[in-house]
Amino acid sequence: MAAALQTLDAGAVAADPDAARKRRSNHSKAKSSRKRLRQRTTPMGTAKHQKPTEKMKKLFRKRAREYHSDEEEDDVDKEFPEDPSSDEEKDEDLGVGDYGSGGSEGDEEDEEGVKHGITRLLEGCRAFKVAFAKIMKRNLPDDPLGPILSAHKKLVAEKLAEEDSEQKMKGESKKQRHSADEKGHTKPDNFLDAKEKFLISVATKGVVKLFNAVSKAQSSQSGLNPSSSKDAKVLAKRRKQAFFSELQKPTPQISDSNKGNNNEPGWAPLRDSYMLTHSKLKDWDKMAEPAAAISGERVLSDSSSDGE
Amino acid sequence: MARFNHKKRRGLVKPPVVKNQPTVDQITGQKIPKSFVFSRGRLPGPVRQLELDLRKLMLPHTALKLKEKKRNKLKDFLNVAGPMGVTHFLMLSYPMSSPHLRVARTPQGPTLTFEVQEYSLAADIARSQSRPSYPKELCDNSPLIVLSGFGGGDQHLKLTTIMFQNIFPAIDINTVKLSTCRRIVLLNYNSETKLIDFRHYSIRLQPVGVTRRIRKFVQKHEIPDLRNLKDVSEFVTRVGYGSESEADEESATVDLASDIGRVNRASNKSAVRLQEIGPRMTLRLVKIEEGLCSGNVIFTEFGKEVENAHPETQEE
Repeated sequence: MAAALQTLDAGAVAADPDAARKRRSNHSKAKSSRKRLRQRTTPMGTAKHQKPTEKMKKLFRKRAREYHSDEEEDDVDKEFPEDPSSDEEKDEDLGVGDYGSGGSEGDEEDEEGVKHGITRLLEGCRAFKVAFAKIMKRNLPDDPLGPILSAHKKLVAEKLAEEDSEQKMKGESKKQRHSADEKGHTKPDNFLDAKEKFLISVATKGVVKLFNAVSKAQSSQSGLNPSSSKDAKVLAKRRKQAFFSELQKPTPQISDSNKGNNNEPGWAPLRDSYMLTHSKLKDWDKMAEPAAAISGERVLSDSSSDGE
Repeated sequence: MARFNHKKRRGLVKPPVVKNQPTVDQITGQKIPKSFVFSRGRLPGPVRQLELDLRKLMLPHTALKLKEKKRNKLKDFLNVAGPMGVTHFLMLSYPMSSPHLRVARTPQGPTLTFEVQEYSLAADIARSQSRPSYPKELCDNSPLIVLSGFGGGDQHLKLTTIMFQNIFPAIDINTVKLSTCRRIVLLNYNSETKLIDFRHYSIRLQPVGVTRRIRKFVQKHEIPDLRNLKDVSEFVTRVGYGSESEADEESATVDLASDIGRVNRASNKSAVRLQEIGPRMTLRLVKIEEGLCSGNVIFTEFGKEVENAHPETQEE
């Protein structure tokens, strides 16, 4: 019977647990009785010093059984045909324990549980052996996933694919965010294109115009001391005249560039309001009102008259 | 708990050292415009950098290290602006994932809203140049501003012109020192595309008719390398490579009223050379509001000008 047990794998045990239990229960009774006997007949040295309690005894027994479990199998086999009733009788004869009437039953149950554990361990050992051998014998195919012990090979593959796609998604979203952040951001070329050259020339013209105006204005006042009040008055007069004359001078070069703009001073430094006006933004719409009322033409003529 | 800690920390903060910056120009007696450049809402990295570049551009009359927090409302800035004499706000925002620049006059407005269609940072421009230079001295003085192409006569263009003219201190031609004019901001309006090109250049003056070698010798104060020369006179007479013809264009030369630096004498002509620095932007005027980021809309890009107090409405 036990031999049959050994060959059984875990699945078979699970399939028929009741039967196994029955067998075990028989088996246990036989074994336990024998042990008790043995203990009684051979008084141990340790017992003399200190009488172990019933619980401790049980524990010891259990441990011993576990220790001898492999060796005892054969014994059990031999003893198995023994009549269980006789065992019980023996038990009673020996008068082990002060169990009372129900004690024997409780004992039985206990023993059964212990026995169960042992067999389970045994079977587990065997099952593990078999399974391990089986795995080690297996010839592994060349798999991109590598050797996977798990039976859920498909699941693993799925999971990996999922992770991969997830990462891709993440990268894409990051890229998108980056491109959204970079919207409008352009890296300039290493050379100056026509537009940039034009802009630089416009700015240069502005600077030249200003510098020339400044030098004219400042050279006219040289030789006069601005700290004395008399000279200051003269200076103020001269400044005004010099500046206006400077601005009212028609500059051919710039008017050429402005031909495209309907003769308007498209360029701020050309207007006499440039850098002179302390234009208050407060009144800007009040200034505009009459122009708006008459319509755009008035504005045009206005600005052109300003310019020249 | 956090609140408590916050309160505790607040006690340790030193009061900010307020530099006594004049609000009025000492010579001309005009009010100096000052500005804040800050962001509204979250900005992505490059736009944040653009904000810093703009601050650098607005120097010296701006708060370079203005600290802004998420919870700061426009009102907070406005409350500070009054006592500090800040007259202009430049606000960068990123609504609908495209950068916008709002230029506003404080405290009453108006507010111009531009969409920044394209922009390049100062770093990008420096990277594109073979010999970039942005010395710190450039930022000691405010830039000149040149507005070009705004003379279309349209109201919104006029307003834009006035706004940008007033963002930098006005210069008095009689008293200004040319050595302080080191930078220029150019706003060029293209009437066809209705885009405004925003550029920032540094101004360099070079004497006309002087070889590069001599110019460098005078500028740098260094002993020149004469190893390859047979005679000392060769240093002066030998023609160096590189053409100076570009700079000698008649249009780009100026007579100076006074000496600027060691090289540019009032006696001879100087050529004006511009090198691009700072941020570059292409702006599109989206709308104009009457108040500070509020109030009636005076102009929108769609040509619908909202009728307010005036019965007459204009086209475009």
